[in-house]
Amino acid sequence: MPDMTDPAVSLNASPAVSSAAAAAAAAAPAAVVALRGITKRFGKVVANSEISLDLRPGRIKALLGENGAGKSTLMSMLAGRFQPDEGWLEVDGERVRFTSSKDALNAGIGMVYQHFMLVETMTVAENVLLGQEGSFFVSPREMQGRVAKLAAEYGLEIDPAASIADLSMGERQRVEILKLLYRKSRVLIFDEPTAVLTPEEGERLFDAMRTMAAMGKSIVFISHKLDEVLSVADEIAILRLGKIVSEMLPSEVSSKGDLARRMVGKEVLLEVEREPVELGETILDVRHFEGLGLHDLNLEIKRGEIVGIVGVAGNGQKPFIEAICGLRRPPTDSVFILGQPWRKFYAEYFWKKSLSYIPEDRLGLASCRNLDLVDNLLLTTRQGFVRGPWLDKKKADRKTEDMVRKHDIRPGRIRALAWQLSGGNLQKAVLARELFREPRFIVAEQPTQGLDIASTEDVWRKILDARKMAGILLVTGDLNEALQLSDRIVVMYQGRFVDVFPITDVEKVERIGLMMAGVADE
Amino acid sequence: MDFAIVVPLLAATVQTGTPILYATLGEMITEKGGVLNLGVEGMMSVSALAAFLVAYSTGSPWLGLLAGGLAGSLMGAVHAFVCVTCLGNQVVSGLALTILGLGLTTFLGTPYVGLSAPGFTPFDLPGLSAIPALGRIFFQQDALVYLSFCIPPLLWVFFRRTSLGLAVTAVGEMPGAAAAAGLKPLRLRYFATSAGGFFIGLGGAYLSLAYTHLWTSGLSGGRGWIAVALVIFAFWKPGRAVLGAYLFGGIMAFQLRFQALGTHIPSSLLLMLPYLLTIFALVLSAWSGRGPEAPKALGVNIEPEG
Repeated sequence: MPDMTDPAVSLNASPAVSSAAAAAAAAAPAAVVALRGITKRFGKVVANSEISLDLRPGRIKALLGENGAGKSTLMSMLAGRFQPDEGWLEVDGERVRFTSSKDALNAGIGMVYQHFMLVETMTVAENVLLGQEGSFFVSPREMQGRVAKLAAEYGLEIDPAASIADLSMGERQRVEILKLLYRKSRVLIFDEPTAVLTPEEGERLFDAMRTMAAMGKSIVFISHKLDEVLSVADEIAILRLGKIVSEMLPSEVSSKGDLARRMVGKEVLLEVEREPVELGETILDVRHFEGLGLHDLNLEIKRGEIVGIVGVAGNGQKPFIEAICGLRRPPTDSVFILGQPWRKFYAEYFWKKSLSYIPEDRLGLASCRNLDLVDNLLLTTRQGFVRGPWLDKKKADRKTEDMVRKHDIRPGRIRALAWQLSGGNLQKAVLARELFREPRFIVAEQPTQGLDIASTEDVWRKILDARKMAGILLVTGDLNEALQLSDRIVVMYQGRFVDVFPITDVEKVERIGLMMAGVADE
Repeated sequence: MDFAIVVPLLAATVQTGTPILYATLGEMITEKGGVLNLGVEGMMSVSALAAFLVAYSTGSPWLGLLAGGLAGSLMGAVHAFVCVTCLGNQVVSGLALTILGLGLTTFLGTPYVGLSAPGFTPFDLPGLSAIPALGRIFFQQDALVYLSFCIPPLLWVFFRRTSLGLAVTAVGEMPGAAAAAGLKPLRLRYFATSAGGFFIGLGGAYLSLAYTHLWTSGLSGGRGWIAVALVIFAFWKPGRAVLGAYLFGGIMAFQLRFQALGTHIPSSLLLMLPYLLTIFALVLSAWSGRGPEAPKALGVNIEPEG
């Protein structure tokens, strides 16, 4: 296919490229890196099919797609971790074949992973220059100087002498970026970079991305957050079921809904209907909680409401939730659940009509990876299936069958092991199990993290429904989720509740981002 | 106790602590690279024999020392092969190495029991040995003790001021980061395990060439295990390892002297002292906690990517 080497031709050949995008492509500088008809299969599953893309210097390309659309596979091939089954990569118009991530790095393609690859005990400078020191003996001062110079060049503010362990997530990300810049990467791939950042840090990242683009770098931005894509991207490519279904410019997108529809391939609701539910008795009462790194927390939750805790991860949400859910001991007389002091509540814990915890760690805390759905159901509901010393497994099988059918958990086999389920289906199974217990109090931690839009909607509906029987404490890093579901918002920063306010308080809702960053002006 | 007893006791402390110091530093290098090696006891024992045999047959203690180091290195490399290349369990491999090493030493060493070989003898360091008390304690020792003085600072420089040291640290903390930086994590782990093994081997060689000058069975006498514990006690810092090693050397030397004085306390109870102290030291370091933690990827094998 000789004509495939011409970027303009290949773009025109793909199905849904707007004429404006094509025109813009024609005017743009030649691609640094190009993907040509890339196909990747894992067994029978086609993860990527016939993908062609051009990455141009000075441009920020957003790659938008749901989970499982094939974004990660595609980027892993760019980063040299997988080899395509068909098609090839071009760097500066030359066909290349990467056999390791080192090849990709040498070709100028670098990736900023979601999970930072940094050595926490070493300094910023040591991390940036790791493997690139250039001499056997090294001088910290000289290394810091080199990194400071590079950081200044790209406007990335960082202290090169600081230890990684002391840095915020945003700063760590800057270190990752510096690592790539130091290695003269020309294409920088960001895999959902804002997931761990505060909104303000996210803005700073976007500024940095624009600066890097202006200095001639080609940026690839993978995300499923529509606002971000619209605000920062120069070009948008949408990946669905392993294929590029359309490419466009942000100016051609009429609305967020429009973009979401193109991404999912059907009409989606980005908002769920929330009918108010009448408030009932107090479910959780936290009074002057002091300890475990937390300071003077006060909170009351009633049946029928959802209280959303927002904040950047690591600001005390974890110890607070663990204390509420009985994993750690809170200070005496500070936590009352369903009207009982913490100690008494857990001493007399009953499986039904009690507390349900939906942890963030689906495949570790919420389920056992090598147990099937029935055994995983029994993890928290065992007491409901006992007759004397015997476990009624037949009954458990039947109940699991019911759940699988009712909640459409795929694959529809009750003997499927937890790890064989996709994230969305596993979460559905966990939710089904917990709702089966008819809880009075639900603690849901990052309930939709990593789920696609359809599953997210499903989980949101179930949580909203559950309000009829329970009070719900929601912990989320996704501000949109908190705003969609919560009746009240709690902002957490450095172990304190910065503020607690109803969702109707428009002024405070506006300032959540600032509060999350600890900027709380009076 | 008066001065005349304390100074010789402290001098004996330094001498007794030296093999433990070598082994501790060796295990520290290994662990900094992310490999837990519980084979120290067996490695010291095999190295002691190797050193003895070479010194015995060549007449050169220095060649014996080299043989001890190489024997340690070789056993470290075996451990690395099992753990790094074959992804074997580090704890199991280490324990196997100890059992193998002790058995092998008894089997091969029995014919030599009671024989003596040329070894290292104390000599005065000119000038320094004249310092009152300190001179007697630190500077009227053998060459291996003087050599051991240089190693902790050199290790500090290695881990903080050389690219290879940073690379080893990175591979022990986060092999993924090291790989992403273009380093070769597997090779670095082989290096750390074998280099660490070399120092453990020197510790073993010290036992047969300087501590005793003759071959007896059970020379390692639990020092390898103490070294493993001391690495934790030392928070993976060479400086603290010196402190720990001399602390244990002191207890061992004291225990010997105390027995010689002829007390009513059974000797088996006194022999337990170092191990009691081991438990105590570990509890103490856990309590004082908050210090720098273990290398993050310690004991975790590097799975092939993809």
